[in-house]
Amino acid sequence: MVEQAVSRHSPQPARTALSDRRWIQHIPAYLVLGGWSLFTVFTIGWIALASLKSNREVFREPWKLPTELQFVNYERAWNSAKLGENFFNSVLIVGVSVLVILLVSAPASYVLSRVKFRGRELITMIYIAGIGIPYPLLFIPLFAMLAGMGMTNSKEGLILVYVSLSIPFTVYILTGFFSTLPVDLEEAAVIDGASDFQVFRHVMLPLASPGILTAAIFNFIGLWNEFQLALIFIQDPPQRPLSLGLYALKNSMTYTGDWVGLFAGVVLVMAPTILLFIILSERMISGITMGSVK
Amino acid sequence: MRISKRLIILFLLPASALYFWFFLVPTFSALGYSLYDWRGFGTNQSFVGLNNYVELFNDRLFWRSMSNSILILLLGGLIIFGLAFVMTMMITSGIKGRKLFRAIIFLPNVIAVIALTTLWGYLYTPKFGLLGAFFDAIGLDQLAEFPWLGPDTIFWAMLVAIVWIEVGFYLVLFLAGVDKIPEDFYEAARLDGASQFQMFRLITVPLLWDVITVGMVLWSIYAVKIFEFPFSFTGLEPNVNSYTVAVYMYILGFGQRQPIYRLGYATAVGVMLLLVVILVVMVLRRLMRREQLQY
Repeated sequence: MVEQAVSRHSPQPARTALSDRRWIQHIPAYLVLGGWSLFTVFTIGWIALASLKSNREVFREPWKLPTELQFVNYERAWNSAKLGENFFNSVLIVGVSVLVILLVSAPASYVLSRVKFRGRELITMIYIAGIGIPYPLLFIPLFAMLAGMGMTNSKEGLILVYVSLSIPFTVYILTGFFSTLPVDLEEAAVIDGASDFQVFRHVMLPLASPGILTAAIFNFIGLWNEFQLALIFIQDPPQRPLSLGLYALKNSMTYTGDWVGLFAGVVLVMAPTILLFIILSERMISGITMGSVK
Repeated sequence: MRISKRLIILFLLPASALYFWFFLVPTFSALGYSLYDWRGFGTNQSFVGLNNYVELFNDRLFWRSMSNSILILLLGGLIIFGLAFVMTMMITSGIKGRKLFRAIIFLPNVIAVIALTTLWGYLYTPKFGLLGAFFDAIGLDQLAEFPWLGPDTIFWAMLVAIVWIEVGFYLVLFLAGVDKIPEDFYEAARLDGASQFQMFRLITVPLLWDVITVGMVLWSIYAVKIFEFPFSFTGLEPNVNSYTVAVYMYILGFGQRQPIYRLGYATAVGVMLLLVVILVVMVLRRLMRREQLQY
């Protein structure tokens, strides 16, 4: 808008010629970026649309809109395939996990980034090292451990695993965030006679809330989509989170041939995170680079 | 600032206890388990020293999984970083819809991989799948019936999908790095008559070096443990040609339809995974050691 206004008020022929040429130069960029984006939107949109078609329509007329919206596909996925049950399991498992992750990581990150004490660098380094340890290495020892505690095949066990394994990444994000906060307010609060805990609770924590929200979103999306650990620690169908439920549905589809029911399941799994992304994409995108781009 | 020792300990304790007990302890016990012959989750373990590693060395399936993982890491990485770079260059060349492109290209990263394997699995289904229907519609019948998920092409079919998912992440990373580069650098170069490509090569790349390094480390850590895609891409059993180290390890430990429970041996595979991460990060640090550019 501004550019247009400017060029209208100062009509310089040389400049217009330049911007014309620029536009042509940009054609490859629009083609590549546009083509790529279109493919993404189209495939995901196609699945969403197909989840409302009948199986017949999907195979006979893949490019047409559904003649009649088959909400019954969702009913099948939600009730018969028990994805409804899995959905609420996921809400519970992920909700509790994210809450506990933040509850334990925020104080630790605060101390590691704002307080000077001996061994601080070492402890921070040990936390960060966890990001590099590949999860599959932990499968068997963790399984043996949880089996010993009688906690395999339970939501509590999975929550415990999720919380423990998410700590390094969360501490990494939060220490990065806490260390960017200004010292003045902290000092002012101390001068005003606030206790150490009050400084943290009433001054630093509110200031850090954007960082904490970012950490919450990343953990939510990561755990909502998590599959590997759930596969190992949960065997009972009633305890399954949504990703496992969808995997089971995908396997049973091999026999039933009910593609549209499966597509409905796919939409149930991806809708919450896509919605969250649409609402909070700016924050998420800026959060990705927290710490890694200085 | 300084706070009381008691509060420091209190603040650090919950996270550290969980991290220590359920992350670090299993990591170290994995190193121990890999030296045992341990079948089934019972107690009958016998110490076999490095035998598991010797067996691994002669295990063809292990090497096939490892070469698949390495191929994803190196070739996949090359394609992903190349594409992300080209797209970074394109998005920052002054086009419109910068944020929209960035958001849409990033989108697959927020979707569960299981949902994406279902999507791609359907896309590749011969004749009826999206790709098949597309070739059918434009009259390329032979391509329409091509079994993309057959043993010869499944790995490449998977690699395409992984590239599609990951490019957006590194694009976002690079773009954030570019945003930190002062605009006057480009102004000055433009006044001196530098081309778009010259500016990219002589300004963007050197100043983006740190971000590229971080990106490569993140990619390596992620790439070697890829599991979900090969595991759930095809039907009930993952295809041997798309095995990654993590998939092979899972199958050794927990089996597919038939449990195998070769726990000591599987853990040795896991240790190899850790060694690859350590090796790659060390190599990267060596390669990337450059003078820090301050600006």
